[in-house]
Amino acid sequence: MAEIRAEIAANVWQVVVEEGQMVAEGDEICILESMKMEIPVVTEVPGVVRELHVAPEQTVQEGDLIAIIDES
Amino acid sequence: MTNHDWGPLVGDVKVRKDAALAMGGPDRVERQHSLGKLTVRERLDLLLDPGTWVEYGLLADHMDAGIGDRFLAADGAVTGIGEIDGRPIAIAAYDFTVMAGSMGKVGEDKIARMRAHALRQRIPMVWLLDSAGARIQSTSGSSFAGAGALFREQVAMSGVVPMVAAMLGHCAAGTAYIPALCDFVPMVKGTSSMALGGRHLVKAAVGEDVSEEEMGGSAVHTKVSGCADLEVADDAECLRIVRAYLSFFPQHNGDRPPKRATADPVDRRTEELYDIVPTAPRRAYDMRKVVTAIVDDGDVFWMKPDWAKNIVTGLARVGGQPVGIVANQPMVLGGALDVNAADKAARFVWLCDAFNIPLVFLHDVPGFIVGSAVEKQGIIRHGAKMLFAVSEATVPKISVVLRKSYGAGYFVMNGLAYEADYIVAWPTAEIAVMGPDGAVNIIHRKQLEAIEDDDERTARRLELAEEIRANIDPYVAAGHGQLDDVIDPADTRAAIARGLRITADKRVERPARKHGVLPV
Repeated sequence: MAEIRAEIAANVWQVVVEEGQMVAEGDEICILESMKMEIPVVTEVPGVVRELHVAPEQTVQEGDLIAIIDES
Repeated sequence: MTNHDWGPLVGDVKVRKDAALAMGGPDRVERQHSLGKLTVRERLDLLLDPGTWVEYGLLADHMDAGIGDRFLAADGAVTGIGEIDGRPIAIAAYDFTVMAGSMGKVGEDKIARMRAHALRQRIPMVWLLDSAGARIQSTSGSSFAGAGALFREQVAMSGVVPMVAAMLGHCAAGTAYIPALCDFVPMVKGTSSMALGGRHLVKAAVGEDVSEEEMGGSAVHTKVSGCADLEVADDAECLRIVRAYLSFFPQHNGDRPPKRATADPVDRRTEELYDIVPTAPRRAYDMRKVVTAIVDDGDVFWMKPDWAKNIVTGLARVGGQPVGIVANQPMVLGGALDVNAADKAARFVWLCDAFNIPLVFLHDVPGFIVGSAVEKQGIIRHGAKMLFAVSEATVPKISVVLRKSYGAGYFVMNGLAYEADYIVAWPTAEIAVMGPDGAVNIIHRKQLEAIEDDDERTARRLELAEEIRANIDPYVAAGHGQLDDVIDPADTRAAIARGLRITADKRVERPARKHGVLPV
């Protein structure tokens, strides 16, 4: 199980995956928007998206949980 | 036959030397190998040019009545001078097979001699660290009051001769401060660590039960703390990396870094940059690919690649000339600068400036991160540190503005006012105090707040932002003579080579002072 957390205070711009979806290492989970930049959030492990804690237009703070991946 | 009987005397020399070369004995050597580590002698063979090793103090022993009759080969510290690429290097190599490489009086005296030699001869010094730290058995009393010269002497050497600490074992306390004062610290994954307190001391002092690897392994120091520069797979790779690192450096601060012949033409067009870098300013890309495309043979020696990844730093060559590259990384945190990125860049700039390595800055930075989280971390003083380092640097400083370069981000990336010797921009460059979307909310805040209808307000905001955007254009900066040129991205390598050529004999005199008052 791997937790993916926000590394910066940001707005959630796009959520790229759905719960239950398979992801490979390096796949985008969502795209944040901060400092006027699109900041892709990627998974460092392959697996299945077990939980997704963000939705578009929501705000996240540094350290907030974005997703949990069941590592395969 | 000679008239004199030298046989036993010469034989005795050999017996004594063989005993010292056997290190801690076959059992300890086997144990060292079983841990996945090489012996100190094997390490020296890999590090140095063959046949160049001149050992100092092979016949040293502990000379400590408290330890008794036990023989400690070389007192656990192998010292001498050897060559890397034909250039002499002073070496201090701790031997873990001899009393866990602990720092004894005689061994430390030998290493002090190497420090003095390195400074006097103006040659780099390399430590091979595999040591449990102080030999507490010999130093537990208050004669400690006279100890510590080793660190002060290293400080005196800093910026005069290159210093490298190769982490090849679990090092605590004293042997963890040695790397802290070196310029470059590679760590072997799994077998090396550094921590102020070793595992047993930590358990006793603060009650934490933690392994060396968890506390101060390569993952901690190359990814989290930033205390080390590179994680390497094993001893052999580590020693190869040390050789490669030193190839970029002069022997001392009074010399220039050595050029290396290359078949890669300096005017090679870098058209792959059209594919790598999106013209849309908000879109991310991997800056490492840009750096690789620009430099000789795509060869980059990344420094701290796994820490503060929002900025990339690396040594490379352009036209054979060593350069230090500082580049924002839009792929991580949008390339925005935070406390660690500022630290990483400041340290790298100081390193290159100390040893006359020209700096190349590749701008794509939305600025420093703002907000309460970074203020609590001291972004102001950390940002000031990078500003300080870039301002102080007197080496040739070349800037290429790829896309965004906003606010203090532009300054610390060697903006024109920072004695940039050659500053050019791509047609996509945006240099301004802040981006139009931010500026509009400050300049036109009252006007926008007065509009009651949401859609109308949004429309007006976009309209006003476009008015501001029209003035954020490289041709406005170029029109004011504040950019030396606007270039085709495919001309980037050639532009950097031009910059290096015209600044080769740069000389800057500053007012005399002891030193500035550094923000840290």
